[in-house]
Amino acid sequence: MLCVDTTQLLKGVLDLAVLAALRDEDGYGYDILRRLRAAGLQDVGDASVYGTLRRLFTGGFLNTYVVPSDEGPHRKYYALNAAGRAELDRNGKTWREFASTMNDLLGDRGIV
Amino acid sequence: MNDIAEDEIAGYVAQVREALGGVPESTREELLEDLPEHLAEVLAEGNGTLVERLGAPSAYAAELLAAAGLHLPSRRDHVSDLRERLLRRLRAADLRVGPVLGYPRASEFLVLLRPAWWVLRGYLFAMVVAHLLDGSDRVGLLPRVDGSLLFAVILLGGSVVGSIWLGRRGTPTGLWPRYTYYAATAVLILFALIGFGAADLDTRSPAYVDATYSGSSGYENVRDVFVYDSQGRLVEDAQLYDQSGNPIQLGSQYCGDTESGETWTSWHRGYPRCPEKNPFRSPAPSGDPLPSQSPSPAPSLSGPAPAPSASVSGPAPAPSPSPGR
Repeated sequence: MLCVDTTQLLKGVLDLAVLAALRDEDGYGYDILRRLRAAGLQDVGDASVYGTLRRLFTGGFLNTYVVPSDEGPHRKYYALNAAGRAELDRNGKTWREFASTMNDLLGDRGIV
Repeated sequence: MNDIAEDEIAGYVAQVREALGGVPESTREELLEDLPEHLAEVLAEGNGTLVERLGAPSAYAAELLAAAGLHLPSRRDHVSDLRERLLRRLRAADLRVGPVLGYPRASEFLVLLRPAWWVLRGYLFAMVVAHLLDGSDRVGLLPRVDGSLLFAVILLGGSVVGSIWLGRRGTPTGLWPRYTYYAATAVLILFALIGFGAADLDTRSPAYVDATYSGSSGYENVRDVFVYDSQGRLVEDAQLYDQSGNPIQLGSQYCGDTESGETWTSWHRGYPRCPEKNPFRSPAPSGDPLPSQSPSPAPSLSGPAPAPSASVSGPAPAPSPSPGR
């Protein structure tokens, strides 16, 4: 039986999702996780987001800065830099093409 | 943030770090750099412990690795990593200990000792062989079989020469020969430790045996000692010493009355412990047992009898006026 698992799908696009979550506003790790979940990606795992953030940072797509906090721990904010924005644009385009292809395919067969 | 939360976070991070053991250290630390802060956010957010909300640390670590584009270390990586770390420690120790011995590296000094080890190995081998052939379970210093010195010398010589020959050939190259070689060495060392321990105990033990305990001394049944001077008088509080000046301990500190059955601890510091049990009592049976009117010099009288003056007869427990001295 073929099984389309959101977790499997997510793996391929988590980078893009994280970059997109940072497009309008910088955020710290848990903040980004909340945004993704609020947007409908309920299944996204904490470690996945955290790991993705670290990898994107190491890859040079994100900048970080620390914001001291009075009531809680210091927060490390992540922000898109130029490379990150370029990556977001490029990958976003790829995704849209891919998604529209999939939509067409599914629409042609009348499944949706 | 309270201490309990901090402890929980530190514990969780430590376990994740452990699960990431096979990842190169720099990558791992980079990956874990922000984790405490991140977990603090998670914890501050809602209810439940970290494990309840994020799952087991090992699962978290696996997900983290996958997301970060790394792979979980295999077991082999783990072992070789451990080996690598151990070797690094050894090399560091090698360099540090070397100068103390006067060499750049401690291993250079140890290499010089190698022939000495070959000789020792030959000796140990001979001892093992002798031990196996000989019925006795005591380990001596020479590899005698049935007490034969000639056999011991021949076996020892052959073993030492053989060991040196083997040593000069170097460590065997094949996998199994090498393992056999190492295993045999380990057995020899084990035998050496046990054997020398036993031999050492054997050579020391006579020192612990004194007349009271050695089975054949004939003094096992001695409970008390009575010393008499040339006049047949009982000497009180006598001290006994052997030829080396060591006090001789015989008997016990307890006195007993055979009729009433009661026992008590003697207060005498010398022999006899129980003067009232004098086996040759009544050496002066003629009525007045001790015609003493001499001042009876104090030293021979100990304890409760404060200078028995003239006509005190009998009651003193230590009736030894010793007028002659």
